[in-house]
Amino acid sequence: MSKEDRSTRKAKSNSNRTTRKTQKKLAVLFFMVLLAFVLLSVRLILIVRDNGEKYKKQVLSQQKYDSITIPFKRGDITDRNGVLLATSNKVYNIILDPKVILDKEDYLEPTLYAMSKYLGFNESEIRSVIADNPSSSYIILKKNVPYSELQNFVAYCDGSLEDPTESDNNAPDKVKGVWFEDKYIRYYPNGSLAADAIGFAGADNNGTGGLEEYYNETLNGTNGREYGYLNDDSNLERTTIAAKDGETLVSTIDANIQSICEKYILKFNQENANVYREGAGSNNTGVIIMEVKTGNVLAMASYPTFDLNNPRDLSAYYTEEELAKMEEENTLTQAYNTLWRNFCISDTYEPGSVAKPFTVAAGLESGAITGDEVYNCTGSLEIGGHKIKCHNRYGDGLVSVQRSVEISCNVGLMYIAQAIGIDRFTDYQRRFGFGLRTGVDLAGESRTDSLVYTADTMGPTELATCSFGQGFNVTMIQTITGFCSMLNGGYLYEPHMVSKILSSDGSVVETIQPRVLKQTVSQSTCDKIIQYCNGVVTDGTGKTARPAGYAIGGKTGTAETLPRGNKEYVVSFMGYAPADDPEIAIYCVVDRPNAQHQDDAKFATGIVHNILTEVLPYLHYPMTEELSEKEIAELEQLQIDLQTEYTQVVSENDPETVSGNEGAEDGSAGDGETTTTAEGADTASGDGTAAESSEPVWKSFEIDPETGYAIDPNTGDLVDPETGAVVGGSSFE
Amino acid sequence: MLKKKNSGTNEYFVDYSLLFIVIFLVGFGLLMIYSVSSYKAFASTGDSAYFLKRQAIAALLGLVAMIVISFVPYQWWKALAVPAIAVSVISLFLLYTPLGLTRNGATRWLGRGAFSVQPAEICKIGMILFLATIISKIGRNAIRSLRAAVIVIGTGVILAVLIRLISDNMSSAVIVLGISVVMLFVASPDYKPFLIGGALGLGAIAAAVYFIDSTSQNGGFRFRRVLAWLHPEEYSDSGSFQTVQAMYAIGSGGVFGKGLGKSIQKLGFVPEPQNDMIFSIICEELGLFGAFAIILLFIMLIWRLMIIASNCEDSFGCMLVSGIIAHISIQVILNIGVVTNTIPNTGISLPFISYGGTALLLTMSELGLALGVGRGISVGES
Repeated sequence: MSKEDRSTRKAKSNSNRTTRKTQKKLAVLFFMVLLAFVLLSVRLILIVRDNGEKYKKQVLSQQKYDSITIPFKRGDITDRNGVLLATSNKVYNIILDPKVILDKEDYLEPTLYAMSKYLGFNESEIRSVIADNPSSSYIILKKNVPYSELQNFVAYCDGSLEDPTESDNNAPDKVKGVWFEDKYIRYYPNGSLAADAIGFAGADNNGTGGLEEYYNETLNGTNGREYGYLNDDSNLERTTIAAKDGETLVSTIDANIQSICEKYILKFNQENANVYREGAGSNNTGVIIMEVKTGNVLAMASYPTFDLNNPRDLSAYYTEEELAKMEEENTLTQAYNTLWRNFCISDTYEPGSVAKPFTVAAGLESGAITGDEVYNCTGSLEIGGHKIKCHNRYGDGLVSVQRSVEISCNVGLMYIAQAIGIDRFTDYQRRFGFGLRTGVDLAGESRTDSLVYTADTMGPTELATCSFGQGFNVTMIQTITGFCSMLNGGYLYEPHMVSKILSSDGSVVETIQPRVLKQTVSQSTCDKIIQYCNGVVTDGTGKTARPAGYAIGGKTGTAETLPRGNKEYVVSFMGYAPADDPEIAIYCVVDRPNAQHQDDAKFATGIVHNILTEVLPYLHYPMTEELSEKEIAELEQLQIDLQTEYTQVVSENDPETVSGNEGAEDGSAGDGETTTTAEGADTASGDGTAAESSEPVWKSFEIDPETGYAIDPNTGDLVDPETGAVVGGSSFE
Repeated sequence: MLKKKNSGTNEYFVDYSLLFIVIFLVGFGLLMIYSVSSYKAFASTGDSAYFLKRQAIAALLGLVAMIVISFVPYQWWKALAVPAIAVSVISLFLLYTPLGLTRNGATRWLGRGAFSVQPAEICKIGMILFLATIISKIGRNAIRSLRAAVIVIGTGVILAVLIRLISDNMSSAVIVLGISVVMLFVASPDYKPFLIGGALGLGAIAAAVYFIDSTSQNGGFRFRRVLAWLHPEEYSDSGSFQTVQAMYAIGSGGVFGKGLGKSIQKLGFVPEPQNDMIFSIICEELGLFGAFAIILLFIMLIWRLMIIASNCEDSFGCMLVSGIIAHISIQVILNIGVVTNTIPNTGISLPFISYGGTALLLTMSELGLALGVGRGISVGES
C-alpha cells in the first residue's frame, strides 16, 4: 500500500508491517469483544440481582434434601392362636401425569399400549382422561392396587419382561408419566369378626374403637426417612433410616369361639327379625366369654356388627332412601357411632336378676345370712310405702336362699338385702366392681359411677330393688368380671383382651400377666354361689341354657327398662362351665328382643345353649351328663349343620316361640323369669329347705293350648304355668 | 509493554503475559473440572479424578505443542494452507466412514477408543490458516474487491454448510462463518459494508425469532430450541432444562458464590457440568466475582493477541492472529451467552476450561501459533 503508515509503536522495520488501518480495525474488534463481555457481565449481574434469591430456593427445593418419608407398617392383631385378625398391606395408587405424556408426541401411544396391556386400563378411557387434563400432573387413576397387579407393568418398563408384539407402540422406554405411590392400608381378613372388639384403623393409622384405638401407640411404629445431605467432600449423600414397624398384638380372643358366638347371635337376630316389630331380632345382643381364672376374654361379640374393611357401609341396616335422608339431616355420624359402639363395654343397662347371686354373695360374705334362711314370699313386699312385687304375684310361698336364686324370687332377695343393710350392700357392690370401670384394654368403656347408689343416696326402696338388679346400671364386662370372682375363689381379675405384645420380627416385647385387683369373697361363699347357680340350671329358670352333655351353672335375668311398664326388657343369662369347677364364664345379653312378650330369659339362654354346645367340645371339656334321645338328635343335627357350613338355618332349639297373643296387660307381677321347657313344669321339688306347703294357686289355672301359658281367670293375664310369673309384668306400681 | 529477551545476539519477542494467561486459564480449568466432575466421576467410574487426569494429560501435551509450535517460524505455516483446508474437508467426510463416532445421537467425532477429535475443530484451525494465507496473498487493496470478499466469506460459508450438514453441528458452523467474517473485517479497511451486513443480519435474526415465536402455538417442535430460549420456564422439562438449571446455578451463586467445590447444581441437575455448562458452575461456586475474573482473563488474553496482531511483521501473521482472536472470542461469547440464556442453547465449549482433550490440545496449538507470530516481532533497537 502506497500510503502505508508506519506504526507509531516501537520496533518498526519491516515494510510489510501491520498497517495503522488494520491496527484500528483490531482495536475496533477488541472493543466489540469487550462490549460483548460487558453486556454478558451485565446479564450475569441481572440474573443474580433479580432472581438470585428465587433460584437459591429453587436449587435447594429441587435437591431432595427434604426427606422422603418411608411409611411404617402398623402392627398386626392376631387371636390367641395366631389367626390374623388385622394386618396392614402395602398397596399402590396409580398416578397419571398427562403433562409428561404429552411432552413428546411419541410418548402417548406406547404409554397407552403399556397401560392397557399390563395395567388393564381401557385405552380409550385413559386417552380421554389425558385429553381432558393436558396440563395436569397428578391424576389418581386407581387406588389401593396390590403390587401383584403392577408387577408386569414394572417389569415391562425396566426391560426385564420381553414383549414379543410387533408394534411401533411396543416401546418400553417411551412409557412415561405413570407413577406409583405406595402406602399401607389396614386389612381385616375376617371382615366383621370381632368388629367391635378390634375396632378399625384408617389410612392415617389412627384406630377407632376397640383394640385399634386402645393400643394405637403400640400398633403404630415410627416412620423412616430417606434424606440427602452434603458430606465433607461436598458430595450429596443419601441416607436411609428404616421405618420401625409397629408391634403385633396377640389377643386373648379365640377366633373360633368368637365366630361361634357371632354365628348364633346372628342366627337369633335373623330368626326373630320382624316377629313383632320391624327390624332385627333385638336392639342389641352381646356375648362375652371369659376365662374365670385369668380374666382373659375369649370372645366378645355383639350385634349389630359391621365389616371392618368397610366400616362406613350402612347398607346392611338402612335403605338407600334412609341413608340419603340421614346425610341430609347430618345424622350419619350418629348412625356410625351407634353401629361402631361396643355393646359389651359401652352400653349400660339394669342387670335384672343376674344381680341376685351378687346380693346373696354379699349376704353370705358379710355374715348377714348363713344360707339356711327361709323366706315367705307372698307375691310382694311393702317397703317404704311401695309394694314391690315378685315376678310371681301369687307368691312363691316359703323359699330357701338357694330356691330364691333358682326361681329368682324377688321377695327372698329383698329380705336378704334388708339383712345386709345399705352400708354393707353398697360396699359389696363396689367390691364386685359395680360403679367402677374394669380397666379392660379396650377403647370406649363406659363410666358407671353415677349410675349406682352410694350409701348416702340409697334408701330402703332402692336397697330392695337393687337386690334383684333394678335401679342401678352396669356394663356387660363389669358384670361378668365380678361374676368370675365369685367362681374362682374370690379373685377379681382385671379383664384382658391382649396377652402378649410382639415386635415386628416376632420376638416377645411384653407378656401381659393376669392381674388380680382384689379379693371379693371367700372360697366358702364361692362354693355356695356355685351350688345355687348350678341349681338355677338344674331346677330353676336356666334349664334351657344347658348344652347337651354338660353340667353348667348360671343365672337368668329379665330386667325392666325405663319407663317402667313399657313392656320392654333386657333379658340375659350369665353362666359358667364346667359346673363343679368353673373355668369359662359366659354372659349373654339380649336388649329388647323382637317379640310381643319380651320378658323371657329363654331368648338369652337359647343363645348360650347354642354357643356352649359348640364351644365346650371345642375346648375339649369332656361330657359329664347323659344325653337324652332328644339331645342326641340335636347333636347329630348340629354335626350335619356344621358339615353343610351353616347353609340353612335350622331351628331345632327353642321349639317354642312366643307367638302373637292378644291381651298384653298392664303388668303388675314380678320381673318375670319364664322357663318354657318342653318337659313341662316340675318345680315343686325344690331341694332347698323350703317346704312347699301346697299346690300353688297359679297351677290351677287353665292352660291355653295355643300359647302354652296359663290364664288367670280373674284378670285374664297370661301366666307362666311353671313359675307363676305374669307375662309382661312389672315389679313396680 | 513488550517484554524483551536477550538471547545471545538476536533479540526477539516472547509474550510471557500471553503464555501465563494461557497457563493460568488451563490451570484454572483443571481445577474447575476437578471440582465440577469429581462427584459424577466417582459415581460412574469410582475415580473422582477421572476427568481431571484425562484433561491434565491433554493440557500437558497442549503445553508442549504450544511451546514447540511457537518456536517454528510462522511463515512456514503458509505452505500448509492448502493441505490444511484439504485435511479439514476430508476429515469432515471421514465422518461418513466407520471412523466416525456417534455420541448422544450425533456423529461429530473421529477416532477410536479414548482418542477422538471433532473435524469441526480441525476445520476452525485449518480455515484460519487458509484464510490468513489467502488474505495475505490478495493484498491490501484487492481485499476490498467483491471477489476477495466472496472468496473469504465463501470459504467460511462452504465449510459452515459442510459442518452443519455432515456433523449436524450448528454452533461450529456459526463459529467458522464468524471467524471468516471477522478476518475479512480486520483485513478490509472498510466499515460500511460490515455495518450494513451486520444490520441486515441482526434484522433477519430478529424477524426469524419473531416469526418462530408467533407461530409456535400451533407449530410443531421444530423451533423448540428457539422457543425454549424465549420461554425457558415453560420448556424447562424438555428443551430448556439445561439452560434453566444453569440459570439456577448462576442465580444461586450470588456475588461471591457458595465456595469452591460447593456447587449443588453439579450434583445432577446441570447435565455434564464439566462440558459446555462449566461456566454456570463457576458462577455458582465462585459467584459473580469468579465469573468476572474469568471474563477479565479472556479479555486480557484477547488484548495480548490484539497486541501481537497489531505489531506483527507481515499481513499473514496479523491475519493468523486475527483468526485466532475471532475463534476464541466468538466461542467464549457464545458459551457465556448460552449459559446465561442470552442466546438459544447450542453446544459450545468454553476454551481452555471446558472438558475435552483434543479441543484443548488444538486451542493451545493455536495459541502456539500466536506465540510464534509474536516471536517473529523483532524488538531490537533501530
